[in-house]
Amino acid sequence: MKQDKRMFGKILMGLLIVFFYAPIIYMIVFSFNEGKSLTHFSGFSLKWYQHMLESRDMMESLYTTFSIAILSTLISTVVGTITAIGLSKSKKVVRDVVEQVNNLPIMNPEIVTAIGFMLFFITFRVEKGYITMLLAHIAFCIPYVILSVMPKVRSLDPNLADAAMDLGATPMQALIKVIVPQITPGIVSGALIAFTMSVDDFIISYFVTGQGVKNLSIMVYTMSKRVNPSINAVSTLVVAIITVALLAINLIPAFVAKQQEKGRGNGSKPLLFAVAGVLVVISTIGFALHGGLKGSEKPYQGQTLRIYSPGEYMGENIIPAFEEMTGARVVLELFDSNEQMYIKVANGESYDILIPSDYMIERLIQEELLQKLDQSQIINMDFINEEVKNLSYDPGNEYSVPYFWGSVGIIYDTTKVTREELEKDGYNIFLNPKYKGDIYLYDSERDSFMMALKALGYSMNTEKEEELQKAYEWFETCVTTMEPEIVTDEIIDNMAQGRKALGIVYSGDAAYIMSENEDMGYFEPLEGTNNWCDAMVIPANAENVELAQEFMNYLCSYEAAYDNSDFVGYTSPNEEVMDDLYGEGGTYEGINAYIPRSGYEMDESFVFNERTRKIISNLWSKVKIVASNVN
Amino acid sequence: MKKFSQLAIPYIVWMVLMLVLPVALIAMYSVTTHGNSIISFSFTLEHYKKFFTDSDFLLVLGRSLMIALKTTIICLLLGYPAAYFIARSSEKVQNLLIMAITIPTWINMLVRTYAWIGLLSDGGIVQQILKLLGLGEVELLYTEGAVLLGMVYNFIPFMILQINSALCKMDASLLEAAADLGASKAETFKKVTFPLSLPGVINGITLVFLPAVSSFFIPKLLGGGQYFLIGNLIENQFITAGEWNFGSAISMIMAASMMLMMMLVKKIEVRNNGGKEEV
Repeated sequence: MKQDKRMFGKILMGLLIVFFYAPIIYMIVFSFNEGKSLTHFSGFSLKWYQHMLESRDMMESLYTTFSIAILSTLISTVVGTITAIGLSKSKKVVRDVVEQVNNLPIMNPEIVTAIGFMLFFITFRVEKGYITMLLAHIAFCIPYVILSVMPKVRSLDPNLADAAMDLGATPMQALIKVIVPQITPGIVSGALIAFTMSVDDFIISYFVTGQGVKNLSIMVYTMSKRVNPSINAVSTLVVAIITVALLAINLIPAFVAKQQEKGRGNGSKPLLFAVAGVLVVISTIGFALHGGLKGSEKPYQGQTLRIYSPGEYMGENIIPAFEEMTGARVVLELFDSNEQMYIKVANGESYDILIPSDYMIERLIQEELLQKLDQSQIINMDFINEEVKNLSYDPGNEYSVPYFWGSVGIIYDTTKVTREELEKDGYNIFLNPKYKGDIYLYDSERDSFMMALKALGYSMNTEKEEELQKAYEWFETCVTTMEPEIVTDEIIDNMAQGRKALGIVYSGDAAYIMSENEDMGYFEPLEGTNNWCDAMVIPANAENVELAQEFMNYLCSYEAAYDNSDFVGYTSPNEEVMDDLYGEGGTYEGINAYIPRSGYEMDESFVFNERTRKIISNLWSKVKIVASNVN
Repeated sequence: MKKFSQLAIPYIVWMVLMLVLPVALIAMYSVTTHGNSIISFSFTLEHYKKFFTDSDFLLVLGRSLMIALKTTIICLLLGYPAAYFIARSSEKVQNLLIMAITIPTWINMLVRTYAWIGLLSDGGIVQQILKLLGLGEVELLYTEGAVLLGMVYNFIPFMILQINSALCKMDASLLEAAADLGASKAETFKKVTFPLSLPGVINGITLVFLPAVSSFFIPKLLGGGQYFLIGNLIENQFITAGEWNFGSAISMIMAASMMLMMMLVKKIEVRNNGGKEEV
């Protein structure tokens, strides 16, 4: 009987261990994969590690994660322990109230705590960044420390401290020599919980960060939409750091157990060593990141350029080359949508350059959130295609310099869908039962509604509520009958691998997909589409305006524009670059998606209107909710 | 002992500032129309009304609670025997196993969840194994099963560790006493071991259920863009829609329902302990 029980336990335990470690082993193995695939190992290579080391984003996220974890663990352990001791001697009422309040971050869903912090920092105009992240981490770690120390303190003999003091110890001595050693196991486990919580945290960090400060979680969250094996490399590095730290600590639980037996306090040295070791590693990375760039005097040495851009939207050499040229440091922060960007900017977060879309620029200008450019500094503007200059959102380009432009259309698998079908159905092909379960929708409220409105024959700038309602119903039909997947940038790799027959995409992503997979085609429906243009602008509260203009000027140059467009696949506003990339021998030779349709009468550009934006935003949320409720 | 009690004062100040005030702000946002501008302060309950009069929102809340409940039950069913097994092992094995469970939690949650994408995707290892077992080509990624797996994976260590520490705290002589008094193994478990481990179980449930309800990156990474839980709804209100007041109202509703549930669970705990406070 007993044997059986142990057997069951052993099997369960073994399976759990496999379960716990399978993803970690997978990650380590695939970090050495030569190819980009997430499922097939094609050979050994260290190239993802090289990518990782070259990516300052990744190294910085490592630094942020561990430096915040260590600082918040140290601070919260000390404060938490002191507080727990204090509380044990306080009146019961005080203790109960504090314990109740302390439970808030533990008992509240994390997202609620996160939002609370965010509102708090915004209300009191604390600029979000490293410090706010640290404060938030300390705030949610302390309760765990108290929770873990409190039972130990309360199980102490209340007369212990008195006895020590009767024997001549000062209160301080009594505290350090008598009380603390007795509760060391509680303190150590509290510190461990705090550290784990901090390293693991995503939700709170995500809401309280700013200025491009990101920890590992945020980095993974913003980069995971595209296949990126460097993430596996970073993860492996994390595993290595943790393992080394643990070896240094020399098996904490064993140590704790011994500590319990001995009941003496001088054994905390290995732990200190471990912490010190990790600190050294982290500060080395930190030093390399912040001090490593010093060198010969360059015009913008020491300045920082903060760019807020859509994800996966910049050539990989642009920033290193610009930093090399100017000596400035560039911090790139990514957004998922124009709306997300607007919320941050409107709440006073400061950037030097934003890269929003046309209608959003119009809104930012209307709300006086942008500043006028010094056009004499942006001489390369001359190379820009006349077609994307002087557009209605910013006549005379007083505020903006075009970045990329294009259209929205249908990416389709030519082996499954014919062009005749597309010409016949247009956007309504997304309601064709033949393709049920075989379509992607794009998670953008604006462009999704564009598609539905055009499919119904309305203007995409309609202000009529009944037309918007009709568009919503179009989507309702689509999500309840067609089982679409609603994605953002995941569509790029998935369509490149031919996972589904149809998807709605931006022309630039289509160009990239088609360059990767010959079977894919791009179609701009005859009902019309959105002719869009994304451009660089400088917010009114920017700090380094001159540097920002230097960057804009640089991006208009042939060299940078070529690199940018070649890497990302979006149509360059630099006319010569566009011709070269599309022409013979170019990366996007003959790919129609690279040259968006222009001058077609059914096509439109977005005009900003706050009232319709709100309606569309609400309706699109509902579309997603209805879609998820169907499952 | 006045001196020692003063040690808690700095933290009490910090607590009011960093823990109480933020929640008060959410509450305030949830009943006003124009964010935090005090000038145009106007009380309203429309955000709550909007949530409760729309079956779609309620469905999302219901589904989030459901999946969190499933996660918790699975974690408890797997976690309790595991914790029990660990607690009954020799000290050396115990320490090793605890380490084995703790280490993964030190590696970032998103990173580990991200790894599951590769394992579960089409043509991935898990699918291949299932195929070998004769289960055919099963679609794994972007299903509710994947979300559930991601949640169990991320949260089960908390359950095991909490229950284990409660079991370890138990005085071994209690078991001996029970045996001496003629109790069978099953009886001892039912009357002594389980009730004494209950605080650990409750803590474990709390640490699994709460994050499971509000998680929004697990559904996003493993469930795909159209898998919407209450956490995603709140994120969406704050990050893209900019409807902070409505988002705050949803947060309040979620927090309130959590509190209610936890109070119920605590009640059970107290009753099982015969109304006595834990020592």
